Amino acid sequence: MQRWKQYGGLLGLFGVCLAAGLWGFTATGGALPWAKRSAKTLQRGVKDGGGSLIDLGRGIVVAGPIRKNGLMLEYGVVAGVLVVFGIALYVYVDRYRTVTEDERVTR
Amino acid sequence: MAHIHLGEGSFPVWALVFWTLLGAGLLSAVIYRVRKGGIKTNQIALAGIGAAASFAIFQLNIPVWGGIHMNLTGLVGILAGPLLGALIALVVNIFSAVLGHGAVGLLGANVLVNATEAVVAYYLFKTLIGMDWDVFPASAGAATIGLSAGAVLMGVIIVVSGVNGSALPRGDLAVAVGGLVGLNLGVAVIEGILTGFIVQFLASVRPDLVGVEERETREETTGVTA
Repeated sequence: MQRWKQYGGLLGLFGVCLAAGLWGFTATGGALPWAKRSAKTLQRGVKDGGGSLIDLGRGIVVAGPIRKNGLMLEYGVVAGVLVVFGIALYVYVDRYRTVTEDERVTR
Repeated sequence: MAHIHLGEGSFPVWALVFWTLLGAGLLSAVIYRVRKGGIKTNQIALAGIGAAASFAIFQLNIPVWGGIHMNLTGLVGILAGPLLGALIALVVNIFSAVLGHGAVGLLGANVLVNATEAVVAYYLFKTLIGMDWDVFPASAGAATIGLSAGAVLMGVIIVVSGVNGSALPRGDLAVAVGGLVGLNLGVAVIEGILTGFIVQFLASVRPDLVGVEERETREETTGVTA
C-alpha cells in the first residue's frame, strides 16, 4: 500500500482519538489523577473542567495505593524480579536457538 | 491504558460473578489452545519481558492528560501473541491487585479488558503487515485501535454492571463513562506512538521477533534482481 495512505490513515485515527480524548479530559473534570477522576465521574457524572493537558510539575509517580501504603519496596522487588527473569529467559532462548533448530516448539 | 480502578464492592454481586466467569472462560480457552498448539520458546522469553515491562509501567503515572498510566498491552500482544498476551494480562492484573492497584474482585473484568487490547492489537498488526504496511504505522495503528477496543469494553462493562453507591441514573452514568472512554482514546495515541517506535526498532534489529523476517527477505531478494 502507498505510504501516504498508511500515514494518512494513521493521522486520521490519531485525530479522532485525540479529539475524543480532549472531550473526555474536559468533561470528566480536567487535571486530576486518573483513578480520582474516574471515581468522581462515576459518582457525580460529567462536569466541565479544565487544567493543563501536560503538567510536568506532577512528575512521574508510582500509583497511589502502592505509594501511600508503603509498598514501594514490594513494587520494586516484583518489577525487578520480573525484569531479571524476562531478560534471563531472553538470553537463554537466544543461545538455545543458535545451537538447535529455529522452529523448535515447546509443549 | 484502560483499567477499571473502582474499589472492592463497587459492582453488584451478579456482575462480579458474571465478569469473573467470562474472564475465567477466556483464560480456559487460552490455556487449552496453548496446550494443544504449543508455543515457540522465543515467545516465552518475550512474554517474560513483556510482563515485566507492562507491570512496571502499569504503576507509573505520567504527568499527561491529568496523570495517567500506560499498559503496553498492545505491544505485549504484538510481540507475544494473543494467547500469551491474555495470560500476561492476568499476571499483571494479579500483581497490581495484590499491591492495591485495582480491585481483586474486578480481576475478571480487568483481564477481559486488557486481554482484548492485546488480542485486537495482534490480529490488526498481522492484518496490516499482510497488506504490506510499514512496521511503524502498522504497529502504532494496531496498538491504538487495540487500546481503544479495550477502553470501549471497559465502558460497556461499567455501564452494564452499574456502580454501587452512585446516584447517577443509567443514562447519566453512560455519558460519564463515555467521557472516561474518550479520555482513554486520547491516551491510546500516546501509547500507540510509543509502541510503534519500539516495534519499529525491534523489527530493524531482530525482525524474527516481530514476525516480519519473511518480508525483509523478500524485499532483499527483490532488490538484487538485475
